[in-house]
Amino acid sequence: MAKARAIVKRLKAVKNIRKITRTMELIATARFKKAMDRATEAAAYTKKIAEIVADLSKADLSFSHPLLTQPEEQKKTVLLVMTSNRGLCGGYNGAVLRHVMGRLKDAKENGEELTLEVAGKRGQAFLKFQGIESDTFYGGFEDKPRFDEVDEIAQRYIDGFVSGEIHRVDVAYTEFLSSARQQAKLTTLLPLGQLDSADDEESSRAVDYEFLPSPEDILEEIVPAAFKAQLFKCFLDAAVSEQIARMVAMKGATENAGEMISTLSMQYNRARQSQITSELSEIIGGAAALE
Amino acid sequence: MSTATATENSIGQVTQVIGSTFDAAFPEDRLPDIYNALIVDAELKGTKVQVTGEVQQHLGGGRVRCVALGSTDGMARGMDVKDTGKPVAVPVGKETLGRVFNVTGDPIDGRGDVTTEESWPIHRDAPPLESLSSKTEVFETGIKVVDLLTPFVRGGKAGLFGGAGLGKTVILTELIARIASAHGGYSVFAGVGERTREGNDLWLEMQETKIGDTGRSVIEQTTMVFGQMNEPPGARLRVALTGLTMAEWFRDATGADTLLFVDNIFRFSQAGSEVSALLGRMPSAVGYQPTLGTELGALQERITSTNNGAITSVQAVYVPADDPTDPAPATAFSHLDAFIYLERKIAEKGIYPAIDPLASSSRILDPQYVGDRHYAVARRVQQILQRYRELQDIIAILGVDELAEEDKLVVHRARRIERFLSQPFLVAEVFTGKAGKITPLEETITSFEEICDGKWDHLPEAAFMYVGGVSEAEEQAKRMAEEAG
Repeated sequence: MAKARAIVKRLKAVKNIRKITRTMELIATARFKKAMDRATEAAAYTKKIAEIVADLSKADLSFSHPLLTQPEEQKKTVLLVMTSNRGLCGGYNGAVLRHVMGRLKDAKENGEELTLEVAGKRGQAFLKFQGIESDTFYGGFEDKPRFDEVDEIAQRYIDGFVSGEIHRVDVAYTEFLSSARQQAKLTTLLPLGQLDSADDEESSRAVDYEFLPSPEDILEEIVPAAFKAQLFKCFLDAAVSEQIARMVAMKGATENAGEMISTLSMQYNRARQSQITSELSEIIGGAAALE
Repeated sequence: MSTATATENSIGQVTQVIGSTFDAAFPEDRLPDIYNALIVDAELKGTKVQVTGEVQQHLGGGRVRCVALGSTDGMARGMDVKDTGKPVAVPVGKETLGRVFNVTGDPIDGRGDVTTEESWPIHRDAPPLESLSSKTEVFETGIKVVDLLTPFVRGGKAGLFGGAGLGKTVILTELIARIASAHGGYSVFAGVGERTREGNDLWLEMQETKIGDTGRSVIEQTTMVFGQMNEPPGARLRVALTGLTMAEWFRDATGADTLLFVDNIFRFSQAGSEVSALLGRMPSAVGYQPTLGTELGALQERITSTNNGAITSVQAVYVPADDPTDPAPATAFSHLDAFIYLERKIAEKGIYPAIDPLASSSRILDPQYVGDRHYAVARRVQQILQRYRELQDIIAILGVDELAEEDKLVVHRARRIERFLSQPFLVAEVFTGKAGKITPLEETITSFEEICDGKWDHLPEAAFMYVGGVSEAEEQAKRMAEEAG
């Protein structure tokens, strides 16, 4: 009976796990819808603002914004890592952190003074285990990142970049491409120069804008706004991707648990049956021997 | 040794034949003693019937019930039965070396008779308490997992437990190749109820294998006794005693270190259970004989080291239906110093020897005997593997990604340790194409220590398969990298 009891115990544990993973899956599905709406709305805005900045920088201007220029030095860099606060989301954090480890290795080889900023407890725990201390930690970003929180961080980067304390800002996050495709990636947000090349519809949009009051004034306003929007989008993308990753991981886990339950039930039934059989045959054998 | 009793040569008649047991009637005052050998030597319609029986019970009314040590085919009521007046006695002495015997001590290798000065009865008392040796010394085998986790005791008993087809016989043969070929003393091999073919293979192999550099083959220092699957239960029940008696002579008369290999102790219990019901005993748990513990105890207690000499024994124990709680293996378990359990799940992964590092244990895996360092490394290895086993359900459901970083590292190392516990065998060379590896204990300990410390985390898992020391794993990793380009 010892064996059968052990199986029952395991069976119970697995059933409990399945209950949890199924609940997590449902919650993640609900959250994912909300997060995706926010992300798609923000995506439209970010895209448009990026286009405008691209157009502006294309416009033959003698003036250039500091956020658009590449500093001569590349020494002082910032790496912002976006991970989740909670686990049970499959390879979501692992994929981002693989990029981070690669970037940290490069930074070490190039002798950069890298400032590591981490959002999400999972990322911090991982880095701590690797013996890497993060310089700043943000634990407040859940599935609905607020713009004012992001704005604060973005403003700090802008100030640092303009004053020359920061030469480059990289972000490691999971990009939301579609609900079926997310990709962990590492992008450079500052200097902003790189972002405009992403748009190749420029030929059709080669409109000559008239700037009022002046291109300089507009640039002064719009470039920081574009950067903030970009950063905010990273956070939103990360939030959606996390929910999707969790949904997928929990769906798989629930299925795995189900499979395990059926094999364990079968094992238990077999153990129980064979025990009954052996007891019966012992009794019959014993009775027969007494005759 | 034993003297014939007064009932010698008294004649009785067969009154009943039930399978492999038979009853015989004797005059009331000349009843043969329990365990006395009775001989039936008769002819019926031109067929010779020659059977030795062993008295098991006195039924009353001058009748005794016997277990036949040979086939009872052709036996009939009324045949004459002669009492030999003493138990079955087998030849003992140096003349038995290099020869093969059956349960009654007759040579079966077709090389003529064996004449020895003495013959000893197969039923003897276990050595008295005060003469038992109290020495405890590690017996090195050169097999990593055995030396690290289940060190053998010199003069002690080791059991190889495992279900069907997990490689018990292979490990036993390997141990013979490793120990006997480097061993100066005598060896006795008892084949109990296993395949005849395996016995033949072993016999031929022993003739080829040489002892160290002496140029002499292992068989010259070995006595073999067989009562294999084809024999009736009586023979399988007593053949272990025959082998043991011969080993006892080497221990008591020469004082040499003697090795006793038994394949397979379970068949001894099984044979006992086969005749038990025929003898009229009520079956006990799982249908075994009620005397299971007594029978096994009588055998196991004799396999022991005395101040005079040592018997180091390795026994294979079949585990029916992979269930170690079955009474036969469970009873055998308590008699052993080192306990090796073969696990089907490990064999399924292709890791041989398929020794379960967590279920196996040894009495002397204790800092007092093996030293603090060995003990610490062994415990660490077990802890890592234990944790890995606990995590297995979680990994199966949620995946490795969900584990905490510490646990990921544990899994990473456990998978390497698991593979590193495999080892190429000398006797499996022809099958695997890999030369057998003898790993010294010191190298084994250092290798496992370094793996636990994470020094070899960077090597791929496959590099740890079938190597000796960890330096060979490194070489294998290099070779694999080259092959992959």
